[in-house]
Amino acid sequence: MEESGSSGGGAEAVINLGIRSSVPISYHPCFGPHDDLLLLEADDNLVSDIFSGRVTLRGLPDEDAVLCTKSKTYAIKFVGNSNSMFLIPPSNPPGFIQDDAHGKVSVIKLAPGNMELVEVSPKLDKLKQLLLESPFGPGEADAMMMDDDGSEKNLALYTWSDLVNIIQASDEELLKGLESLSAIEIDGYWRVIDESYLDMILRMLLNNGVLNSWSFDDLDEEEVVSSLVADEFPTQLAGHCLRVFGSEVKGTNKWKLEPRLVCLHFARQVLREEKMRVESFMEEWRKKIPEGMEERFEMLEGEVLTERIGIETRVYTFSVRSLPSTPAERFAVLFKHRPKWEWKDLEPYLRDLQVPRLSMEGLLLKYTRRAQSRPDAEPIFSAR
Amino acid sequence: MEIRVKCGCGEEECSEWMIVELQGVVETQSSFQGSVQNLEIGHLCHSDSSQETYTFTVGYHELTGSKVTLKKPLLVLKKLQKGTDGSSKKETELEVVGIIRSKILFKTRPKPLFSGTN
Repeated sequence: MEESGSSGGGAEAVINLGIRSSVPISYHPCFGPHDDLLLLEADDNLVSDIFSGRVTLRGLPDEDAVLCTKSKTYAIKFVGNSNSMFLIPPSNPPGFIQDDAHGKVSVIKLAPGNMELVEVSPKLDKLKQLLLESPFGPGEADAMMMDDDGSEKNLALYTWSDLVNIIQASDEELLKGLESLSAIEIDGYWRVIDESYLDMILRMLLNNGVLNSWSFDDLDEEEVVSSLVADEFPTQLAGHCLRVFGSEVKGTNKWKLEPRLVCLHFARQVLREEKMRVESFMEEWRKKIPEGMEERFEMLEGEVLTERIGIETRVYTFSVRSLPSTPAERFAVLFKHRPKWEWKDLEPYLRDLQVPRLSMEGLLLKYTRRAQSRPDAEPIFSAR
Repeated sequence: MEIRVKCGCGEEECSEWMIVELQGVVETQSSFQGSVQNLEIGHLCHSDSSQETYTFTVGYHELTGSKVTLKKPLLVLKKLQKGTDGSSKKETELEVVGIIRSKILFKTRPKPLFSGTN
């Protein structure tokens, strides 16, 4: 066998080892545990994300770190290997490895295993908690209008950067989470608006709409905002109201109020914390609905539940947005609330669950038990 | 806390490391006292055969294996603890120092060699 002693050594000597050539392998002068040297398994997409500097590790010191790309979140698992994995650096090793200048092939470390990534749902439940610590309300709005720099604010406030340091989610997932909470960035801090304050702004918008004969399908943002500012609401919140309750008509600068969102808002105002008889609820609800909009009970799916008490049917607030975002916890809360569910009642509370590698069928199989008294009967779901 | 995974180089230039993997444990002779640094482990040979065969001779044993391309590459990361000047706060950094795309894997039972056989 030929010795390829003329090669430069290092990993290259092994990679390029010619047929019928051989090379001695030794322990590097710096051979040791090198616990700070880690192996991470990464598919080609992740490899290019990493080389583009788009990958970060996120989490608090007492949490298991997650790895985030721009749009996805991964749990990090260490997978041990009982084989002996001899790790051989290249002939021109990074600075922390003493250059083994003799052109040898040397082993720097025996790797006990490597890290693997498993895509997971972002952990967004903490986000709701954090932002609900200090909802933005009328008191602060007044202070804003009076140019009070709010130095006396003793509120827990979070910037984007604060949230990135606390929440284990990718940038895109975090932004989506903020959107789903109808959060708004005010003075660099992400805030949710106090619900009764938001109600005031919405009712003023609807009022002004009637006074000015606006069409709710064709609202002009500037007009809406200036009318609300005239009523002493901050500019940003006026615009935000349109974003919360409406959608932009593509290509124009006009906004359309979404009946479902407006009606849902008023339904929640009527119900508050109570359980009402359906008939009373419908009556009270109808009174609050603006002219030109039609309320329909189906608009409330995923937001209210009904129960039969004797001959009466009662309705109460039960919003999917108040439920945990991770599947195991979501199902636990749902089944704790109600041990048995029909699919038509359960589905709206599962629709928003996004679990990597698991379809709705898979989710149901994993977390529920399905019972069907007869082939043509409605299936009933209960906890597994 | 957010730790960015850094790399001093692009994907093309990233230096390639290697892994030689075998089942079992390589040990020094029981009579050996001292550290293993600089000791020779064995000889790796790329055999002359139509298959990608390698042999690794360690002591009195000969292992047979092959070069395997990893389905997913392994990145070699170095964890650094940087103390920010003055403060006791230690910042952790992660840097990519290499990539591993293939390994030489020995899966078979070692064949004992006796003097005079090789």
